[in-house]
Amino acid sequence: MVSQRMWREHELKDQYDVVIIGGGVHGLATAYYLTKLGVKNIAVLEAKYIGFGGSGRNTAIVRSNYRTPEGIAFYDLSVKLYEQLAADLDFNVMFSQHGHLTLAHNERGVTGLTERANTNQLMGVNSRIIFPQEIQQIVPDLNVFGHSRFPIQAALYHPPGGIIRHDAVVWAYARGVDRGGGHVHQKTEVTAIEVQNGQVEAVDTNRGRIKTKMVLNATAGYAGLISRMVGLEIPIETHPLQAAVTEPLKPFLNSVIVSSTLHVYVSQTDRGELVLGAEVDDHASYSLRGTLAFLEGAAIHLLELFPHLANVKILRQWAGLCDMTPDYSPIMGGTPDVKGFYMTVGWGTYGFKAGPASGYLMAELLASGKTPKRLEPFALTRFYDDCLVGEKAAASVSH
Amino acid sequence: MNEQLSDDSQATPVTYEFEFDGQRVRAESGQTVAGALHSAGEHIVSRSFKYHRPRGLLCMSGRCPNCICTVDGTPNVRICTQAAKPGMVVKSQNAWPSVKFDLLRIFDKLHRLMPVGFYYKRMYKPRWMWPVWEKVIRRIAGLGKLDRSHGADGVYDKQNLFTDVAVIGGGLAGLHAALAAADAGVSVTLIDDQPALGGHLRHDPELAESRLNELISRVASHPAINVISSATVFGCYDENYLGIQQGQRMIRLRAAQVIAATGCWERPLVFENNDLPGVMLASAAQRLLHLDKCRFPGEVVIVTDNAQGYRAAKQLRAAGTRIAAIVDVRDNPPESLEGVRRFLGHTVISASGSRHVGGVVIAPLAGHPKQTLSCRWLVQAVGFTPANSLLYQNGCKLRYDESVDQAIVIQHAPAMHSAGAVNGLHDPGNAAADGQRAGKAAAEALCSPCHRVSDPPAENNLEIPRHGGHKEEESPPCHYVAPSGAKKKFVCLCEDVTEKDICDAIDEGYSNIETLKRYSTVSMGPCQGKMCQAAAIAICARHNGQSIAETGVTTARPPEQPLPLGVLAGRAVHFSLVRRTPMHAWHEQHGAKMGDAGNWKRPQVYTSVTQEYEAVRQRAGLIDVSTLGKIELRGRDVVKFLEFIYPNRFANLKVGRVRYGVICDDAGIILDDGTIARLGEDRFFLTTTTGNADAIDSWFRWWLAARPQWDVRLTNVSGSYAAMNLAGPRSREVLKKLTDADLSRDAMPYLAASEIQIAGVPAIVLRIGFVGELGYEIHVPAQFGQHVWEAILEAGREFNIAPFGLEAQRLLRLEKKHFLPGVDTDALSNPLEADLPWIVKLDKEDDFIGKRSLARSLQRGSRNKLVAFQLNEPIVPDLASLVLTNGKLGGRITSIGQSPAAGGTIGLAWIPASLSRNGDTIQIQINGRLVDAVVHDEPFYDPSGEKLKS
Repeated sequence: MVSQRMWREHELKDQYDVVIIGGGVHGLATAYYLTKLGVKNIAVLEAKYIGFGGSGRNTAIVRSNYRTPEGIAFYDLSVKLYEQLAADLDFNVMFSQHGHLTLAHNERGVTGLTERANTNQLMGVNSRIIFPQEIQQIVPDLNVFGHSRFPIQAALYHPPGGIIRHDAVVWAYARGVDRGGGHVHQKTEVTAIEVQNGQVEAVDTNRGRIKTKMVLNATAGYAGLISRMVGLEIPIETHPLQAAVTEPLKPFLNSVIVSSTLHVYVSQTDRGELVLGAEVDDHASYSLRGTLAFLEGAAIHLLELFPHLANVKILRQWAGLCDMTPDYSPIMGGTPDVKGFYMTVGWGTYGFKAGPASGYLMAELLASGKTPKRLEPFALTRFYDDCLVGEKAAASVSH
Repeated sequence: MNEQLSDDSQATPVTYEFEFDGQRVRAESGQTVAGALHSAGEHIVSRSFKYHRPRGLLCMSGRCPNCICTVDGTPNVRICTQAAKPGMVVKSQNAWPSVKFDLLRIFDKLHRLMPVGFYYKRMYKPRWMWPVWEKVIRRIAGLGKLDRSHGADGVYDKQNLFTDVAVIGGGLAGLHAALAAADAGVSVTLIDDQPALGGHLRHDPELAESRLNELISRVASHPAINVISSATVFGCYDENYLGIQQGQRMIRLRAAQVIAATGCWERPLVFENNDLPGVMLASAAQRLLHLDKCRFPGEVVIVTDNAQGYRAAKQLRAAGTRIAAIVDVRDNPPESLEGVRRFLGHTVISASGSRHVGGVVIAPLAGHPKQTLSCRWLVQAVGFTPANSLLYQNGCKLRYDESVDQAIVIQHAPAMHSAGAVNGLHDPGNAAADGQRAGKAAAEALCSPCHRVSDPPAENNLEIPRHGGHKEEESPPCHYVAPSGAKKKFVCLCEDVTEKDICDAIDEGYSNIETLKRYSTVSMGPCQGKMCQAAAIAICARHNGQSIAETGVTTARPPEQPLPLGVLAGRAVHFSLVRRTPMHAWHEQHGAKMGDAGNWKRPQVYTSVTQEYEAVRQRAGLIDVSTLGKIELRGRDVVKFLEFIYPNRFANLKVGRVRYGVICDDAGIILDDGTIARLGEDRFFLTTTTGNADAIDSWFRWWLAARPQWDVRLTNVSGSYAAMNLAGPRSREVLKKLTDADLSRDAMPYLAASEIQIAGVPAIVLRIGFVGELGYEIHVPAQFGQHVWEAILEAGREFNIAPFGLEAQRLLRLEKKHFLPGVDTDALSNPLEADLPWIVKLDKEDDFIGKRSLARSLQRGSRNKLVAFQLNEPIVPDLASLVLTNGKLGGRITSIGQSPAAGGTIGLAWIPASLSRNGDTIQIQINGRLVDAVVHDEPFYDPSGEKLKS
């Protein structure tokens, strides 16, 4: 096997047709699909290294069992693109679809999940309610029938859900951009965006100035800061989201397990590590430091689900930044106020699983200037027009 | 971690046996498992992660992955810090059939098929192949096995401590720092991860002067110093909040000042076959020699660039080991050892042997000419990696300093200091002086009136000595990576990453140290880079043509050492607490079926829903509502605050009246509902729903925090009051028997709020009726809850009163079309669409939360509406049934029940506004078929509210 270079380093050109800010899955996927549409004079600017932000910090869960028809259709497209991604990008992104279980520990939880199952089925997504016997069969090590403060009553079972090697997705997209003729610039930080007469004209970076008429903000936790560069206030609050990983164990857990009641979710990678996380921190912050309180809470709740893990050790914890919108749904598209300024932001805790779909549809928008139908519900204007998307119940804790 | 290890026990050794892979092994008391195995001649203790190569003891300090075993069922235990105990069962991991003979060693031969990142380039074509491969991978992957015989039943506990100065590390610098601070009059907590103080001097007796013991006893007996031994500081969190593990205990220590005197550990050389059993760090050999009382049969070659190598050689020789040679990287070392052959300016190129070292090949640094030395052990003393991860974690800035070949703090985090070897001061005299300096600085920072928070760099005026002298200009930039060689040179022992893997990854484009880490997995294993990070960075720098400082480091993340989940969880039998109301015992005695409502336990039903329903509708019923959130607001500006928080009006709420209110967020979405009673001009009593009690408390405080000039004092009295709801046509007669107050309709009309005595107890009584009957919500001090509850039931006996539970309440309120926030509303529900348009007073002059959004929504018109409906068929569908319009999702059912008042199945549903007029027909999907239902505008019971207001 001859090793080939994944991506090359380029000089910064003084003009690009499209400048994408943010070298995470959203920015790189958009760039990749743009090159496929023939738009090749493009640059992805990444302040640190590709995958520094949420794309390298998320817990790599992919699923489409959302609550609203808009959300389900969107994430379903993403799952389908993920299924094809290894072949499409010629890189094993290790999408393992071993199923995703969202647990319900009370009547209200069962109701919410049943409603989601019904809606999923109506939309053609493989998802159903299962009860303790079957849950135990699928996850033999889960504490279903033993002593528990909040016994498991049912689960939303979503067989196509699973986990993916998130870094591999980022690298594979970056290679795709490079081979398609686009430029990936790492360590390139945007310092200002120039707007004249309501039209984007240029982007200033630490490596020089780039003339461009089209800029895409794909900067997740920093989305608010970048938007402010064109004088746009967007309804986004940045909250840290924490996660942790254990030492590797012989694989015993194939499915992703999520419990909103217990504020915890867990999966086991092919390397054998357990990856666990909780909901976003209460308060807005740009801090990337983990907290002890998170570890303690996650441990308490994980042991309620898997008491045998008491002597399993945490190896490291980390935090990422989540750009939360009021309705727990993303903002995709342009803005009437600044021509040429586009966004794919507000990805909160559910961005990685949406990467391919958002990239695919955003590329279509940037290349054609027309908003694809599936993006319409997610326009920025929904906050002015009060047309929010009701995804909170399915998106908040359940990653 | 190693709290069981005795303190250099002087007593006569006791021997006992434990089991290693089914064989009996003898151990002496005070020995580690690893030490006992070494003495027993068991030198292969694990197999490597990827290639299944044999691995033996390397660091003896719990930092490398080489000795990870399963001990008494617990996977991934480092046996080099685990005391051997009689009867202990130790098993090797990740080997089949055994650690001595592992068939999977075949991977070692197949390495060409498995270059760095091979799994990204294979196994995915055609698509169905990946799941097949993945099954195979998941069978081979991972280290220890999950221990199913153990539950979460270990004995764990947590302790919270406070201190003026926390000193981390009980070596020379730490001891001096602790004494200096304590002598300056502040309290000190000294945390050390060893069973006895003294740091590395414990196993390097020549360095330890006679004064060490005196120093240790001064520290141990100092009244202001609290020593926590065998305890690892695993995290330094915001504001000097230290997480400490001591065996099964977790200590949370808040320190005003922190001194990191964490020292360093030795780093290994990178050369061919550098992972063979028999290759060991000098400090590991010294630990085995002095602490585990082990011997080294056969010849030793020492490779070194510093004085420690010579000390180790001397000590090994004194213990009867023959020193074959000292290979010194330096050309003119100041040290020497009489009678020992030396090779100056040389390094080790490779080790030979298949299961244990049999010899080493050495050469000058340039690589030629090579010569072979026969030996059984290769002991390496080639420099140190500072234990600086706590400094990084706490936000200190460090920069690689070539003169000492380690990263040095260039800017300390607030209230943090460092001392000793972590600062590059390895010489005992310098380390001691640096410790004293840091101790004084920490104490001064505390005592000075302005609390100087950082350690100015200028204070550190000690000259940092260059250790070794190998940093002469002619030396290659990283001599600890041997030149050339076709065999595997391991950088990362956890993940079997070789030097070639790292170079290949960089060639593929993963040149940033962080992407390099993620792609090659270097430093991602159990040791988290402790053994490999220095070499990985050096190789990355060399291959990129950068300096080490430019290359940077990967982020240090807690925990510093792997930390068991059980220790983090603590002594949690139920894990989540259980909350019980003051009347809980009564409910249980009277046969209530209890259910969870968040952390609360609440009665669901006592007898049957039908009987309880009848009692309330025809006579009187009593329900425990103590779980409601209760907030008291006092102050001149409470009205202003309420007007801002709620969409409805409060300025006109008279004293002695109560009003229903809904709380919305900025987008106009309903967060919660409850009642607001005005008990005095500046005194209000509010209730929230059970589930939102904490959230609303935070919500109020959040908005108040930004309005310090407002005179609003908030007291959460949720737990202080028991509450119950007496409802039903006879409830006035019942209550009359327990109070002197005038309960007549004129004196206490609907929506009256009063403070009266009930059954001899002061009570807040609100005339409200969630269930649609004449009713009283009675709040009494919690300690009188059961007394009042029983008194009411006793008084109501002649009217055939009955307690009722949540299930009956849900049906009763459904007949009145009252919604439950969070049940009947979701993240899109605003009061306009939730059938409460009258509550939104957009004409209020001042702004209130959600005003803009609600105005917008009103202007736009409703898209969806919450309506009541009645089914045309006598069936009860699932709560989560969908409302379909033309086969598409139109809405959903949120509440359902069989209503005696309506004579059929009724419910609440969100549906398109276009279908929401009284009498409209909607279609509900029930078991795969569509059933018609009719929209119902008015409450199903007592639509005019006569009974409620009676």
